[in-house]
Amino acid sequence: MTRKATLMGAAAMLALMPAAALADPAPAEGERERGSSGHLNIIYWQAVSTMNSYLSGGTKEMNAASIVWEPLARFDNEGELVAWLAEEIPTLENGGVSEDLTTITWRLQEGLLWSDGTPVTADDVVFTYEYCTHPEGGCSYRDRYAGIESVEAVDERTILVTFEDATPNPYIPFVGAGSPIIQKAQFEECMGARAPECTDQNFAPIGTGPYVVTDFRPNDVIQFEANPNYRVPNQPYFQTITWAGGGDATGAARAVFQTGEMDYAWNLQLAPEVIEQMEAGGQGELLVDFGPLMERIEINFTDPSPDLPDDERGTRLHPHPILTDIRVREALSRALDRELLTEIGFGPMGQPTCNFIVAPPAMASPNNDDCLVQDIDRANELLDEAGWERGPDGIRTKDGMRLELLFQTSTNAVRQDFQALIQQWWREIGVDTRLRNIDAGVFFGSDPASPDTYLKFWADVQMYASLFEGTDPTPHLEQRRCGREPRPETQWQGQNINRYCNEEYDALWAELNREPDPDRRQELVIALNDMFVQDFAHLPLVARGRVSAKSNTLGGNIMNVWDSEHWNQAEWYRIED
Amino acid sequence: MADAGGIGRTPLLEVRGLKMHFPITSGLLRRQIGAVKAVDDVSFDVFPRETLGMVGESGCGKSTCGRAVLRLYDITAGTIRLDGVEIGQIPQPRLRKLRPKMQMVFQDPQASLNPRMTVAGIIGEPLDEHAGWGRRQKLDRIYELMDAVGLNRNFVNRYPHEFSGGQRQRIGIARALALNPAFIVCDEPIAALDVSIQAQVVNLLEELQQRFGLTYLFISHDLSMVRHIATRVAVMYLGKIVEIAPRERLYADPKHPYTQALLSAVPEPDPAAERRVERIILKGDVPSPANPPKGCNFCTRCPQVMEICREIDPPTQEVAPGQFVACHLYGEPRRTTAEATAA
Amino acid sequence: MLNYTIRRLAMAVPTVLIISLLIFLLLDLAPGDPTAQLPLTIPPEVREDIRMALGLGDPVLIRYVKWLQLMVINEPLHALANLTGWNVAPDTQRILSWQTRSPVGDIIAQRIPQTLWVVGLGYLFGVLIALPIGIISAYKQYSWFDQIGTFISMVGFSVPVFFTGVVMILVFSVWLGWFPSMYDTTLRVTNWETFVRQVRQMVMPVAVLALFNAAQISRFMRASMLDNLNQDYVRTARAKGMKEQVVVLVHVLRNSMIPVVTVIALGIPAVFSGAIITETIFRVNGLGALLINAIYANDIPMVQTLTFIFAVLIVLFNLIADVLYGILDPRIRYD
Repeated sequence: MTRKATLMGAAAMLALMPAAALADPAPAEGERERGSSGHLNIIYWQAVSTMNSYLSGGTKEMNAASIVWEPLARFDNEGELVAWLAEEIPTLENGGVSEDLTTITWRLQEGLLWSDGTPVTADDVVFTYEYCTHPEGGCSYRDRYAGIESVEAVDERTILVTFEDATPNPYIPFVGAGSPIIQKAQFEECMGARAPECTDQNFAPIGTGPYVVTDFRPNDVIQFEANPNYRVPNQPYFQTITWAGGGDATGAARAVFQTGEMDYAWNLQLAPEVIEQMEAGGQGELLVDFGPLMERIEINFTDPSPDLPDDERGTRLHPHPILTDIRVREALSRALDRELLTEIGFGPMGQPTCNFIVAPPAMASPNNDDCLVQDIDRANELLDEAGWERGPDGIRTKDGMRLELLFQTSTNAVRQDFQALIQQWWREIGVDTRLRNIDAGVFFGSDPASPDTYLKFWADVQMYASLFEGTDPTPHLEQRRCGREPRPETQWQGQNINRYCNEEYDALWAELNREPDPDRRQELVIALNDMFVQDFAHLPLVARGRVSAKSNTLGGNIMNVWDSEHWNQAEWYRIED
Repeated sequence: MADAGGIGRTPLLEVRGLKMHFPITSGLLRRQIGAVKAVDDVSFDVFPRETLGMVGESGCGKSTCGRAVLRLYDITAGTIRLDGVEIGQIPQPRLRKLRPKMQMVFQDPQASLNPRMTVAGIIGEPLDEHAGWGRRQKLDRIYELMDAVGLNRNFVNRYPHEFSGGQRQRIGIARALALNPAFIVCDEPIAALDVSIQAQVVNLLEELQQRFGLTYLFISHDLSMVRHIATRVAVMYLGKIVEIAPRERLYADPKHPYTQALLSAVPEPDPAAERRVERIILKGDVPSPANPPKGCNFCTRCPQVMEICREIDPPTQEVAPGQFVACHLYGEPRRTTAEATAA
Repeated sequence: MLNYTIRRLAMAVPTVLIISLLIFLLLDLAPGDPTAQLPLTIPPEVREDIRMALGLGDPVLIRYVKWLQLMVINEPLHALANLTGWNVAPDTQRILSWQTRSPVGDIIAQRIPQTLWVVGLGYLFGVLIALPIGIISAYKQYSWFDQIGTFISMVGFSVPVFFTGVVMILVFSVWLGWFPSMYDTTLRVTNWETFVRQVRQMVMPVAVLALFNAAQISRFMRASMLDNLNQDYVRTARAKGMKEQVVVLVHVLRNSMIPVVTVIALGIPAVFSGAIITETIFRVNGLGALLINAIYANDIPMVQTLTFIFAVLIVLFNLIADVLYGILDPRIRYD
């Protein structure tokens, strides 16, 4: 069984992990009492809509829910798994994962209580599975529970998850902020179509986490109070939290850096010079950490010509007349100045990159850094070699066809700046670029009838950012396999956005999917990454960080790009001077 | 300026050297760059119980003159004595106490009545202000006035827009009469009315004059109506009085070329007489009062213009008893305006 | 007048229905997808399920009729039940927001207090400032007061709220630290101290809105006063020997107020629709912020319900303005 080997690799990695990954030495931990730090103010300028993250899918809702609801295990700030509600991480070694890789057995910690004082049992975990997989429930994280045959409560504290197939990575259901455990008693009446009607439950869920909701106003403000039944006796340190929402990113940054009204502000995607100016206020500091989020240009391998019928346009039936030539793709890449783009668009919140897989650090390839330097001359040479000759207007032509590209992206100030710069650089190498921007609500929408979604990709190149969950890039690499592209037969769903198809790549991916050795896996990930980017199948631009800000008087928080930023909320405290 | 018919009588109103100039401003800081001389050095008397008609083309300043006399404007220069009291320069708050003596009937009865007040409110308001009567007494007075001007008492709580033009003007007259004034300026009181109504209103004014012993300054551009109602007539041109004379004299023997031209344009009821009339057609437009010509104001259009007219503003002189003319045609002045004023 | 009012009210019903249908169809036709805001890690199949769970699978007219039934029957009953405590609310479905999965009526009710406090007071103060400024400016036309008034109105009119608001925050919150830059909607006024806090947090947004409203209304007031000051009836009043203040405040002002009162009445629905930009800058989560947020998130039930309420208010206040006009101006009679 190939997948078994994979799992063994994962297990080995877990074994290497320091057992006390959590043990960030919180100063004077012994002295601090529950509630001793008083009140905490958090601002989310994009306000939280509901406390039930299963019904929202948004990051902001997931973050808010993460201080109430907790998973069995989660990722720490290094991207490593730590047991959370579970006693320990089940592995092949400790017998938690079956030899045939089809089952995993979780054991809950002893004496766990819900915030209402009732015990947490295996039934709650089973119920969580049933709740999210109900066909009419519209659960946003249903894919976390895909491929599961059954979830059973073996006894009060033991849960047996049986997969339909051998599963190399069983650490998806009930792991991470995206699939926390919910209380059966509270949500029993809220299954399926009734899920949205349970407003009281959705707005004030009962959890095991450090805080309970005392007041929830959708898209406005949440008030939290320390959970009296929290399992760590002297935590959380803050007695109450006001989790304000609304306003704009500038206002949120100002409230932390300049007026000191807020202690923590989430997602400050602001222009670098604005951030710099705000930081001068001196009351807070910027927190940046880099995860797998990366801004890229996708290159369409299929012909998006509007002359084609709708069900053939942008499909593999018609290869792209220009971009199937690797020399053209490479020229487009060489003409870019990624350093400049990063500086202009993201400042300290971005890093220029040439890789498809940008994180975790061990998985990021060191082999592609030559693309970081702009090389217009080389780009021109490549196009000359490819037989594209400059016309009188400076635009290249070949066989009567102009080198003209339609470049689309979502409407967003930074992306439009990027478009303008890139248009200029490509103009220098004789490529005429037409720009188009589409409202984000449409561009990232999944409506199969809309011609403007990034999935349909009825343009020659397009720019957006994407990421993957957890720390294992295997599923993300799988997206670029042949046959995973959006097309009419799949209702235009699928993640092989650029319609890349390379047998070699598919073979290598299959090898990765059965490779047990962690070092070899790392090599394979890098090899797949290099194959993809050296084929110039898409043009990575900037690795984007998660950006938050905290007040100088806030301590204990550890930025985490692999889980909720509030993963260790219980340990946040006020620095007294 | 004296008056033949007025010898031995004291005038009710004496106006001397009245000037009403409106500043013209321009630019960001609204600096004054000139003035519209709407009324420029006008002198005349009005005697008790007489009607002085004031005629002239539109824009000649006759309405402004009427309003200035009642101090509805703060005048630029001159003196106005009403019943022996100098009112030309006294401040508005003190003037207010004197308002009951002098009233005005306006040209447009629609516009001159507050649309949001009832007849009772309109007529009664000056009583509140100046008489301080009780409700009952006030209402009696309102009814009395309505009777006097021929308005149905039942309409007392109606609004002006519910009346016809003639009725509205009756309200306007009743309002003017409320405080028993001695002197009323009638500023084109019939110009906005239908011809059939005009006679009614003029007759009402005459009747009221008899009954209450009123003195009128009757401003009109309608020469036949003025001939009907006025005892004496003043002719204005471009802010100045060019001729002033008893009615019969003026109509029979106009002296000033402008008066002659004006009268020649009046249609004769008798077709035979009409044919005999030789019309004097004036050429050109009236000059702007902001920039009047040098010399005589009429020199640009006068059919009998002389060299001197373009240089020197003619003084007013008495050419016949009670008939005063400001024109160089009439030889050496016997008395200048200044002398008249002094007298 | 009564007949007229009743007839107008009857006419308003189909008007509002047609407006609501148009809004519904427009929103339906508008591109956008309620799942577009979700992270790209959520796969398309799950998105499709979410769309179905939101009821997007039904044809548009069926969704409209369902919505209309909830809007005109269930929601008013719920509102009544909440206001009076009577048990009249049907135990059936309500209009649910796609974003929050909770009844839109409850969220709107939650947002009304801060909107009325901030935007309403901004309007009220705007009017209170505007009227005297307009009156004095017109009475003393071209005086220094008029010039300054004109300048301030021009500033209030032409400088956008997002500029004045941010400048105020920089000056009064960041430099001087007098007022909070963020409005706290959880604050309950229970004693003097909380009252002071409430006043402090309202000062800036109210001031920004008052300046903007005052700029507009003072211009109206001034123009209307100037129209009337040169009317003959004013001269009549002076000729009557009325005191100057009676002339201006009774004769001129009462007539000048007729158009201004209707303008003020027509502006009131805008108070309810909130002030999107001001609310966003000062984080006053009122109805304006709710609307713009719902639009961004493609939360169609919320947008639909809010715009419907605004439409009703606009139709209603148009009627009120017309009736007021009839009451104030005796020349106008509706039969």
